[in-house]
Amino acid sequence: MLRVNPFWHDLHILTGAYALDALEDASEQERFARHLRRCGACAAEARGLREVSTALAFAAAQEPPPGMRERALELAERTRQLPPELSKRHRKRSRLAWPQLPWLHGPWLQGLVTVTAAVAIAAAVVFGIGQSDTRQQLNQARSQQAAIAAVLAAPDVRTVTGPTSLGGRTTAVVSAELRELVVSTSGLPVLTSGRVYQLWLIGPAPAAATAVRSAGLLPAATSGLTAPYFASGLVSGDKLGITVEPAGGAKQPTTTPIVLLPI
Amino acid sequence: MVYDQLARPVYGVIRRVVRDPAQSEEVAQEVLLEVWRSASRFDPDMGGAATWVLTIAHRRAIDRVRSAAAAAAREHRVAETPEPRDEVAEAVEASLDRERVQRCLGGLTEVQRESITLAYYGGYTYRQVAALLGVTLAAIKTRIRDGLIRMRDCLGVS
Repeated sequence: MLRVNPFWHDLHILTGAYALDALEDASEQERFARHLRRCGACAAEARGLREVSTALAFAAAQEPPPGMRERALELAERTRQLPPELSKRHRKRSRLAWPQLPWLHGPWLQGLVTVTAAVAIAAAVVFGIGQSDTRQQLNQARSQQAAIAAVLAAPDVRTVTGPTSLGGRTTAVVSAELRELVVSTSGLPVLTSGRVYQLWLIGPAPAAATAVRSAGLLPAATSGLTAPYFASGLVSGDKLGITVEPAGGAKQPTTTPIVLLPI
Repeated sequence: MVYDQLARPVYGVIRRVVRDPAQSEEVAQEVLLEVWRSASRFDPDMGGAATWVLTIAHRRAIDRVRSAAAAAAREHRVAETPEPRDEVAEAVEASLDRERVQRCLGGLTEVQRESITLAYYGGYTYRQVAALLGVTLAAIKTRIRDGLIRMRDCLGVS
């Protein structure tokens, strides 16, 4: 038996109750959290036991009610994200480091949560990205998520949203600093085969030859929602437009935009 | 899909603790929103992202059942708390993780297993668990910790 201060020992054996959120009240929580800051071994043990809690949560997995994701998305659209709480140096390091970091330390969980970049969880959970089947799609999804994660973590990130003339909404999460954006739509009508939704970045002087740039094709929607789509090359004053185009997309828009969002 | 991978355990664990489906969805929405709002403050050094999200989910669920408003409903629930073994077995869909967790739970002593499931899925504090199982506080703290350590080793969590 470890010869430690009996008071400490008494606190130490609470790592289990702490990992299960079974401490008595806020004051005991606080006391224990203080103890963890002083006792590295206890903190390490608490982390390991917390992963057992995660396993217990996975074991209880259950289908959420239909529409929960859509309702969460609506809430997210109306809610500003908190800016990062980090120093500039840390932020820079983190933004690079996060996407590479393994999601989970426990090997048993790694197979479970395959498609992830740590900070992309906001998008992953709320928007439900990463619908991919093959290894190649998985890798593409991974790098896309890393890019999406960077936009979401950008200090100047903003969300703009607007209805389209065909119904439904378009939401763009924009970082002017990174000159990147993430576009997602909900409730757009399904197009007949051979037609696609194409994204455009439209500069302030539409007459100029380079004013209208294709930003790619919207992915197909799943239950009314498109997976977040990453686009780059944003220029100050750009608007985001969406048009209906023939499969494969067009060089320049051939129809009237169904939405024009100032971003 | 990632949404399913996290939304299902998020909703599942909340549902297990809170029980009422409507309230469970409310809590799940709070959790998703908190994840969305504070994603930029997620610190990967503190553990995996799934652990981060599910810790928020479990704590929110606990907050809900421990709030004064829920006190009455809880009294009622004590009576119908099923056997801890069934708690896991009744789960909706068989999966590898579930089997694994179940197998590891099966390797615990009865008191360890009951105290862990009552605390985690039942949302009871260790004091309440001690009272429910009729053991001393010192014993329950030790049983919970020893049981979790055994679970940890059984699951292969590093």
